[in-house]
Amino acid sequence: MKRLIVAELFKLAKQRKTYYALASIFIIEGIILLSAYFEGTNIINLLLDNLRKSFYFQGSLLNGNLLQYLVLNTLWFHIPLIIMIVVSGMLTAEYKDKTIQAVMLQPIKKWQWILSKYVVAVIFTIGVVVLLYVTSYWLCTGIFGEGDLVVYLEGLNFFPAKEAAYRIRWAFIAGSVSMMFFAVSSLTIAVLLKDVTTTWIVCCLFLIICNLLLKIDLGNTWLNQYAFVKLNDTWQYFFQFTIPYQTILINWWVLVGYILFMAAAGIFVFNKRDIG
Amino acid sequence: MMRVYFVGWLVISSLALSAQGVDEDLLRMKQRLDSVVYFQVNLQLETDISFVHMPVKRALMKFEKGKPVQFSSSDFVLLPKRGLDFSLQSLFEYPVVTLVRNIAVKNGNTIKEINVIPADKRADFTIATLWINTSLRRVESAEISTSKDGTYVLQMHYQQAPDIFPDRVEVNFEIERIRIPLNFMGKGTQIDKEKLKSEGSKTGKIFMMLSNYQIRYKLR
Amino acid sequence: MISGTGLTKQYGGIPVLNQVTVSCNSGEICGLLGANGAGKTTLFKILLGLVTPDAGTLSIVSSSVKSVGGIIEKPALYDYLSAADNLRIFSSIQGLSTHKHTIHMHLERVGLPVDRKDPVANFSMGMKQRLGIAIALLNNPACLILDEPFTGLDPMGVVALRQLIRDLTNQYQLAVFLSSHMLDDLNKLCSRLYVLNKGRIIREGDTQAIMNACTRQYLITGNHIATSHAIRDLPHTIIGNTADIQLLPSELTHLLVALQKENIQVTACIPQPDLVQLFEGGAA
Repeated sequence: MKRLIVAELFKLAKQRKTYYALASIFIIEGIILLSAYFEGTNIINLLLDNLRKSFYFQGSLLNGNLLQYLVLNTLWFHIPLIIMIVVSGMLTAEYKDKTIQAVMLQPIKKWQWILSKYVVAVIFTIGVVVLLYVTSYWLCTGIFGEGDLVVYLEGLNFFPAKEAAYRIRWAFIAGSVSMMFFAVSSLTIAVLLKDVTTTWIVCCLFLIICNLLLKIDLGNTWLNQYAFVKLNDTWQYFFQFTIPYQTILINWWVLVGYILFMAAAGIFVFNKRDIG
Repeated sequence: MMRVYFVGWLVISSLALSAQGVDEDLLRMKQRLDSVVYFQVNLQLETDISFVHMPVKRALMKFEKGKPVQFSSSDFVLLPKRGLDFSLQSLFEYPVVTLVRNIAVKNGNTIKEINVIPADKRADFTIATLWINTSLRRVESAEISTSKDGTYVLQMHYQQAPDIFPDRVEVNFEIERIRIPLNFMGKGTQIDKEKLKSEGSKTGKIFMMLSNYQIRYKLR
Repeated sequence: MISGTGLTKQYGGIPVLNQVTVSCNSGEICGLLGANGAGKTTLFKILLGLVTPDAGTLSIVSSSVKSVGGIIEKPALYDYLSAADNLRIFSSIQGLSTHKHTIHMHLERVGLPVDRKDPVANFSMGMKQRLGIAIALLNNPACLILDEPFTGLDPMGVVALRQLIRDLTNQYQLAVFLSSHMLDDLNKLCSRLYVLNKGRIIREGDTQAIMNACTRQYLITGNHIATSHAIRDLPHTIIGNTADIQLLPSELTHLLVALQKENIQVTACIPQPDLVQLFEGGAA
């Protein structure tokens, strides 16, 4: 199993598209920083416009923490999309190039091979989120400095610099669990569909539907609380004024359950199917 | 009919007599405040606004006569525009007339309720009501109706009788409903626009604790 | 040894293989001949274990961990990796040594250079086939299955690959099964032949015997062959020094002797099997 995982990591590291994906993430970060640099003050002024009538503001809200928070918001769509494209490509490319046949001709177990892909998908996802966190922290704080964070979430929430950094750190950790869910789902979709383009389209659709259903009342209390579409914003809970740790923990466990279910389903289907 | 006009003229002229100029107690209090040329104080600010969640903030305030007030803080702080004008400079920037509305005795102190009305269109308030402790020559509370920014109510609390500046100030103010650019919103918050419209202006409070005053007075 | 008995497979109700029985012994090269869509690839996928048959049994006698290696349609390689990295990947996943010397040994075994670091996307088809065979031979399988290995190769590539297959079979006593629709390749390489038509084996046996059974025509090249009396009595057409003659294999020797007596130097004698008869069956 370890050999298979190492081989998958090696293949991932050797492919150009992996680096295109990582470069895309940097480009998105750069665009966010540039936009914030030129437009950030206007947006904050707009946000706090009516407070200005009654208050003077001492200190700048356009700081590294706010920028990192904006980068964190790429976890809604941009980052999961990139991750899904790379991860699903780990399998669809093998179907396309027929290397899957060559691999299956070697004395290895099918379920172990596909499981190694799921493991590498999770490792890659964690790596991407860590990279995103480290680079955003370094860039945002380096260019814009530290300071209080303002988030509009059921009100205007102001967090002191250190507390903001803590919340952002944990939000990235929570976000990585959501990203793992999307990564594993994309690999399962690849198992079902095999074709590169079809898989991309369905992954994109899956992501869009998850985001849409997040905001829609599903008509059932249990579904509204525990359906997987309702759990991917758990990282946002770290920006409520009082962090609901228990809710977050429950959401994490339920999401891990969904991740394991998706992986198990993919492994089961892959194992059952003929490779030819 | 003439009798009515005469009585009316008599009432108006008597009112005018008592409204002419600035009340002496107010002037004495103002003189006391004007004797301060510099002060520095540690501020601790606590907001109580329904849609703003902010932890307790700290700042250092420096006042020097003739110069704008300076603030310094390592955090981001919201500083109420009206609550920090202890010297009431903004009220007396332009000529005003005053009108005594009431005089009461409270805890052995004489509290005078005075309306301050600007006599110049350039003033940024329409009317201010001050409750002045004439014995101790200080403002106990104030209600200021500004031209553009709604009405502020300030409640001052002084630690000791001779204190010129308060150690605690409560500022009540009006805030209009908040306008948020949608793409800045975090979690998909449900915005009930009808509810927001019906709520109209919101009010808020800010509590300021002031400590460690360092005051310099004018040399006589 | 590898054998499949009564192998049957259908896709969506359409029969692809119907009661197919094949076998190949160690040290033997067996050929599978068939037109496009005859079921060759499906049969090989079943022999390789990639596809499960609907009926029938598969038997592989082998003491190796990996009993059968092969290439289906074209060598499946990681185009973005070098030849050495490809071998490293396939070796590592099955627990084999990835030491530099071992990798070089695998490359040299199939005649590939050891010093090329560029991705295999830059390789020629012949080199890719060689690398595919090297990967198929990892872990020393007893059987090797090659599906149309000569496709896309130039004549020199075909010759080189044929020689490589022959050498590997002899050296490692492999049971080699290969498919093609090129008669010449199978004729020169395979000792036994199976002919597959619409999912059924219609002919099996010695390659030469099958070819002879379907041969009714020969191309005979010789100087002044147009002047030969021996061929006049036979149905023939002349193109330059080559005569396209219709005759049975049993009559060939007699004709060649007659031509020799007429002092006609025969430089080539190429049998022309009847393809319809060969691929689609009918009395031989």
